[in-house]
Parts: sequence; structure tokens; C-alpha cells
Amino acid sequence: MELNRSFLLQLQILTKRMVLRVVRRPLAELPNIFISAFFLFVYDGALGDVFGGSVSGTPFDFANGNFVNFILPVSILSASLSGAASGIYLVEDIESGVFKRYQSMPISKWAIILAPMNVGAVKVLLQASLILLIGNIIGADPAVGAIGYLVVLSLAFIGGMGIAGYSVAAGVKSGSSQGAQAATFLFFPALFLAPTFVPREALKGWLQTAAAFNPTTYLIESMRSVLVEGWVIDVLVKGYLVGGIFAAITLFLAVTSARKATEKA
Amino acid sequence: MLAVDVKNIKKTFISKQDKVEAVKDVSFQVKQGEIFGLLGPNGAGKSTTILMLTTLLSITDGSASVLGIDVSTKDKEVREKIGVALQDTGIDNLLTGRELFFTTCRLWGYSKKNSEKKTIELLELVGLMEAADRRVKTYSGGMKRRLDLGLSLVHSPEVLFLDEPTTGLDPGSRRVLWDEIKRLRDNGVTIILTTQYLEEADELADRIAIIDEGLVVAEGTSDQLKAGIGGDVITFSFENTDYLENAKNILKNTVQEKNELRITVEDGASKIPGYLKDLSSNGVEVSSVSASKPTLDDVFLQVTGYRLEGSEDIKKEEEKSKR
Ligand SMILES: Nc1ncnc2c1ncn2[C@@H]1O[C@H](COP(=O)(O)OP(=O)(O)OP(=O)(O)O)[C@@H](O)[C@H]1O
Ligand SMILES: [Mg+2]
Repeated sequence: MELNRSFLLQLQILTKRMVLRVVRRPLAELPNIFISAFFLFVYDGALGDVFGGSVSGTPFDFANGNFVNFILPVSILSASLSGAASGIYLVEDIESGVFKRYQSMPISKWAIILAPMNVGAVKVLLQASLILLIGNIIGADPAVGAIGYLVVLSLAFIGGMGIAGYSVAAGVKSGSSQGAQAATFLFFPALFLAPTFVPREALKGWLQTAAAFNPTTYLIESMRSVLVEGWVIDVLVKGYLVGGIFAAITLFLAVTSARKATEKA
Repeated sequence: MLAVDVKNIKKTFISKQDKVEAVKDVSFQVKQGEIFGLLGPNGAGKSTTILMLTTLLSITDGSASVLGIDVSTKDKEVREKIGVALQDTGIDNLLTGRELFFTTCRLWGYSKKNSEKKTIELLELVGLMEAADRRVKTYSGGMKRRLDLGLSLVHSPEVLFLDEPTTGLDPGSRRVLWDEIKRLRDNGVTIILTTQYLEEADELADRIAIIDEGLVVAEGTSDQLKAGIGGDVITFSFENTDYLENAKNILKNTVQEKNELRITVEDGASKIPGYLKDLSSNGVEVSSVSASKPTLDDVFLQVTGYRLEGSEDIKKEEEKSKR
């Protein structure tokens, strides 16, 4: 009997199996979608009139008259946190012993590690798209036109992969899915130690310094630039660069830690 | 060629806190087409041994081969030949039985068509056809074990490793699995299984190795092991401890267990009257006495110095289910 054990086929089979797992637990997806959408509605509702420039006489019109454009990147990055699922899924398999079963079979270890990453990436794209759609419905209007949404999505994806890598590394290291989950809570403060509600110049001294070292800052600023201002190339390049470096580092950590986990004790 | 050849393997787990010698020195040989039982209590090193032989754990010292292939250096080749059902079963609860078989077939490399065919064959083989489209989460313990067994058979392995395949099952389910395992053996599959149940080793295994604290303390067929005890077991029981203590001094080489004394002698039945005379002439009253062929239980007691706990439970369960 002809046997096909190509890496790509195995990756596809394992990804499909993981998608099935996600689809069978739809409720697990809701909290993150809900929080991301919640951010968008609440911030727009609470701050939109003040910072959006429609309250006459406020000096804070940094949103060019459209606060949804300004706040959308925060919700999008919150959606990117769903990339943390990669680590959680992988560690669930380690905990349940499924991982060991795969190890006892002639399966590429890369396929075992990459399958949850794939699923994490797809989740990030879907959730971010959903938030973009909601944003569009409630009035987002990218300064560079609809292509701005694609730029935002690509940046969300890069951020999401960074988080996915981090969650895999943290999960494998802690050896429990709770560990992976707990570790990703670190990203919540990161979301706010950044020019979340006002531009960086408007932040108080210490927060401005913290924000300068926070990769989230550059992702938010680059997304914001295409939504609010137009093509600001240096901001955009910085966003891709910082996001890319962050993702590269965490993915490297993920791969080395996961490889260690697949080694024999 | 031997199905499995294990030579003085050893496993030491080293962590920051301490060093655990899980397997100290284990050797045994398994012929092709036999069921080999590794019998031992909790923590004896059974799972560790299985994990080493199935390439999932490195071997600290010693060597092992499966069908002549070295386990440490040729783990890929070994994996092709073996089927593995581990103790803590890694089963994906959210998938259905059918999906699990299909996915596993595909991962082994079979085409879609062949995978579908094999899935049905295996579902039938392990008696899960009716539950095939239910999520595994809803399966009973026995069904999960059978699923596990089925999954380890996908690539028609020549050598099968089963780590405590029946632990936690009721006697009925246990029998079903035993029959399944025997049928596999009759079809030429070599099976290495671990168990903490004496009856299981006795009933199922063609040969047995008793493993305790990381060492093989006895090996042979069930009959050889029993014969190794050298005779029959005579059991005396007493009303009170005074009688018992006195009897201990009169009868030499006894093993005490609660209010009973055991003694192993050739041709036990004929020796009973003599013993009873000795005892009563010293004023010791015996409340009951019996002679029996040694059981695996006795063998275990002799080689390890204690009884395998839990072996009583299985008897009780069997009785309960008969009622
Ligand atoms: N990864 C590990 N690190 C440290 N010690 C371990 C590890 N795995 C097993 N041990 C120890 O090695 C010994 C043997 O364990 P093992 O799991 O092989 O026993 P077992 O015979 O399978 O027992 P059981 O019947 O309970 O399954 C135990 O003392 C256990 O605590
Ligand atoms: Mg065990």
C-alpha cells in the first residue's frame, strides 16, 4: 500500500483536526471577541465626542473628527490576543497525552508544532476581520481608503503571531494550559502602557517612556496612521519592523521550547 | 529473531531536587507471537520500561531491540513496527471515534479511501461501530480502552505494547479486552502488556516477568513460576495470637499473614496430619488448615516479600458481577 507521509499533508491533517476542536467549542471563542468589540463600543461611546472633536472648543481633535478610526487599532490588537490560543491548544495536547501519541507515530514534529500556530493565525485573522467589520459599520473610514483595512489586518496578523509564539513558549515552559493562559494576561497591561487613548505626545512622562519600549505602541501607531492620517511611511515601516522583530523573537522561543518538549527525556 | 530483547536497561530521572532510579535493571526476552506480561505494583517501573521500549523515553543504560532493531539509535524504524497504547491515554475527547480512526490512518500515510476502509474495519474489530459517530467524551472507560487499542492497530504493527490495558475496567469489559488481545496474538501479533492484576497475568500472559522497584525479580510461564515455589502451600489459621506465636516456633520456615501461617512443602496434603500432631501435642489449637497448589499470589509474596495490593479487589469485583 502506498503511504504518503509528506510534511504538508501531515500539517494539513493536524490543522484540520485542531480546527474541528475549535469549532466544537464555539463558546470558548466568545469572550475575546466580546471584549474586543466591547472596547470599541465603550471607548467610542465614552470618549468619541470629546476626543473626536465634535464637542466644540475641545483642544483634543487628534482623531481628525473620527474617533472610531482612532480607537479601532486598540480593539484590533485585543482581537490579536486570540493568537494565544496556539499555546493553549498545544499544551492541551501535551496535558491530555495526545502529543505523546503523535510522538509515538512517524509524524513530523514540525507539523505537530505548526498546526496550532496555523489555527492561532486563522483565529487572529477572523477575529480582527470581524472587529474591522464592526468598526466599518459604526463609522470607521480609513484615510487611505479601504486598502487601509488590509494594512491593519496584516499588522494585526503580525502582532497575533507574536502573541502565538509567546503563548507556545510560555505554555510549554509552564507545562499547563492555565500557564499559557495566565502568561497571556501580561498583554493586557501592554495594551494600555501605550498610546491607547491619546497620542504618545500627550502621555505623562513615565508612561511616555514605558510606551516607547512597548511593541504595542508601534503597532497601534502604524495602524492608526493609515486610518487617521494617510500614508505616513516612516510610522508604517516602524510598525512592521517592530511587530516583525517581536514575532520573530517569540516564534524562535516557541520553536526552541517546543522542540525541547518533543525531545526524549 | 526475538520480538523484543531487553538487556539490563536502566532509567534514572534527574531533576534539580533529586534523582529517581525508576528502572534499575530490567532484562527480558519476548518471542514472536507470544503475550508477555510485566506484572508489578504501582511505581514498579512498568510504564517507564514501556516508554523506553517504545522510543518515547531515552534509555539511561543498557540496550533494547525490537525485531532486531535497536531502540535507542533507530527509533524511526522501530516506530514503524510497533503499536503503542499508553497508560494515560491520549485521546481527543472532542472528536468522534470515526474521526479519530480516520485521522490516525491518514497520519500513518494511508490514502483517503484506504483510511475510510481501515476505519470501518477497526471500528468493527474493537466493537465500536455503534458509537462511531459519537464524541469520545461520551464513551465509557471500557470503550475508551478499546478505542485506544484500535488506534494502536492502525498500521498493523507486528509488536504491540499495552500499558495497563484493563486497569479500572469492570470484569465484563476486562474479559472483552482479554479476548481481543488473545485474538490478536492468535493472528501473529506479539504483545507486551503491563498489569498490576495477578489474574490478568495468569490468564492472559504466556510468560510473565514480575517487576518490583525497578528490578525483574522473577520470570517464566505462570506454571514455571508456581513450580518454582517448590511444593504446595499449607495454610494454618488460629483463634488467637498466642497459638500463632507458639505455632511459629514449632513449624519452621513459616510466613505469617494476619492470623494465618503459611508453609511451603513438597506434597503438602500428606504432611498435614504430622504438623497437626506436633501442634496439638504442644497445646496449640488450629482453627483451620488447608493445602493448595501455589498461586501467582504466593509467587509474588515469595519473590517480593509482600502481597500485591489490589489483587483482592479484582476477585471481589468478579464475584460481585457473578451475583
Ligand atoms: N518523569 C519522571 N520523573 C521522575 N520520576 C519519575 C518520572 N516518571 C516516573 N518516575 C518515577 O519512577 C517510578 C516508576 O514509575 P512508573 O510510572 O514506571 O511505575 P509503574 O510501574 O508504571 O506504576 P503504575 O502502576 O502506578 O503505573 C516511580 O517512583 C515514579 O515516581
Ligand atoms: Mg504505569
